[in-house]
Amino acid sequence: MASGALARGGVSRSGGWAARRRLAKGSLVLPAFGWTAVFFVIPLILLIAYSFGHIDIITFTVQWGWTTRSYSQVFQSLYLSAIGRSLLLSSGATLACLLAGFPVAYYISLQRGRRQLVLLVAIIVPFWTSFLVRTYAMTNLLNAHWLGSGKLLDTPFAVGLGIFYTYLPLMVLPLYVALERIDPALRESAADLGAGGFSRLRRVIIPLAMPGIVAGCILVGVPSTGEYVIPSILGGGKVLMYGNVVADQFQSTGNYPFGAALAVSLMAALTVVVLAVRRASARREALA
Amino acid sequence: MKRPSALAVFTGLVLLFLFAPIIVVVLNAFNSNHTLDSWDGFTGRWFSQAFSDSAVRSALWVSVRVALVSTALSLIIAIPASLWARRASRRARALLDGTTYMRIVLPEIVAAAGLFLLFRRINFGLGIATIIAGHVVFTSAYATIIIQARVATLSISLEEAAADLGAVPWRAFRRVTLPMLRPAVIVAGLLVFTFSMDDVVSSAFLSGNTVTLPVLIFGLMRFHVTPEVNAIAAGVTVLTLVTFSLSAALLGLRTGASIVVGARPEEASS
Repeated sequence: MASGALARGGVSRSGGWAARRRLAKGSLVLPAFGWTAVFFVIPLILLIAYSFGHIDIITFTVQWGWTTRSYSQVFQSLYLSAIGRSLLLSSGATLACLLAGFPVAYYISLQRGRRQLVLLVAIIVPFWTSFLVRTYAMTNLLNAHWLGSGKLLDTPFAVGLGIFYTYLPLMVLPLYVALERIDPALRESAADLGAGGFSRLRRVIIPLAMPGIVAGCILVGVPSTGEYVIPSILGGGKVLMYGNVVADQFQSTGNYPFGAALAVSLMAALTVVVLAVRRASARREALA
Repeated sequence: MKRPSALAVFTGLVLLFLFAPIIVVVLNAFNSNHTLDSWDGFTGRWFSQAFSDSAVRSALWVSVRVALVSTALSLIIAIPASLWARRASRRARALLDGTTYMRIVLPEIVAAAGLFLLFRRINFGLGIATIIAGHVVFTSAYATIIIQARVATLSISLEEAAADLGAVPWRAFRRVTLPMLRPAVIVAGLLVFTFSMDDVVSSAFLSGNTVTLPVLIFGLMRFHVTPEVNAIAAGVTVLTLVTFSLSAALLGLRTGASIVVGARPEEASS
């Protein structure tokens, strides 16, 4: 946000030299925009194009056209239940991450010096450790005797726990950044004015931490909705999430238009949610 | 002040929850009881079994090559883009930030499915090149966010001084800008290498018959918990900890940590 202020200090030089310089400056971003255009934007457009085509049942080839057949297929009960489960599991896990992550981030933000550094590193190390290994680690945990020797595996609970466990650091880091920025004087003056612990939290700290809360919830909630790895390992193919249904269409069923329609629906739904959340939080900030 | 102590206990429990399962995986890699029901003593058998497996070794080699190239490409994309962003117009900058943010937040499976269709459409054979194309989509986004956060803290007056003293842009970049960016470039490079080494979704969609290490382990993990899988998982954990320790050793823990924490994708598009 504030970082943009630094950027505008360019010294203007005269004539062709300036134009050449500007051209050279512009070419710096070409690799980024080029790669994004070819390997990200075009594929997404292609997904949209495929999603309106359909598959010829006899020749099993993709027919182009403008049919919404694949989209109406999305609303069949089999797929709807996987979609509903994805939304429930990811929003539940996001809420759990927020509830567990907030106190941790708050505690770290109150520390100073070496102690704070050690705690931060303790959050960064799991974030840095293999996502796949951490998911697998949950199977080791759920196989323990005191957790029912694997009875909890292949259940929605196991999948939700897996999301909570693997995404938790992604919640703590932005929360910490937001909480760290709060001026301690604000906390103290709230206390001096007679606000108790709870009301200080509710009326001062949480509102000021809102950007971090929004960021953490997006970073956890949005990618986890399309999760594929966690339900495959912890759900044992019995608890399907959105990612599994999409992957199935491309990897075994071969119905690309339907797979594309599923992917486009997910993308559209998540985009609407993210824009709505960001707009709401921007308005809050403007009012504050 | 009673509150901080309750907070401290809670934080300790959460950290225990974060670390204990990983430690169990590593311990079970040495457990000589192959059913892993109980601890039957220490063995290195699973490691020698896993790493004498030629499929594991060749998958590891594929992953290392993919990760090295992905890291190099990510830095080649991210460093100039971050420098460009300082002087770009508001609009152009918003375009860069928005697409960077999207590449991180959008569920990977959507982007991977689209890329799969693209390569299918133009009949480009799936393999190492296509895996790299898929990885760089998101690894370059992470690298851009990390390096851009660092660039934002630098003043451009040093480079301008270099230019005024007659340094051509390339020389000013190499002698002035790059050294200032070094810590962020190191962290971004090591983190992105680790993420590429760990990726399942893009690799599974774009690999064809080529198998990367995570795709191989993912296939094993879906069906069993076995000591061999634990041994490979422990090996991967050690590898990721090596890249982390390397960044700490090169930069000091404090600088490394502050670069990771300071990179904020959530602010990229505001």
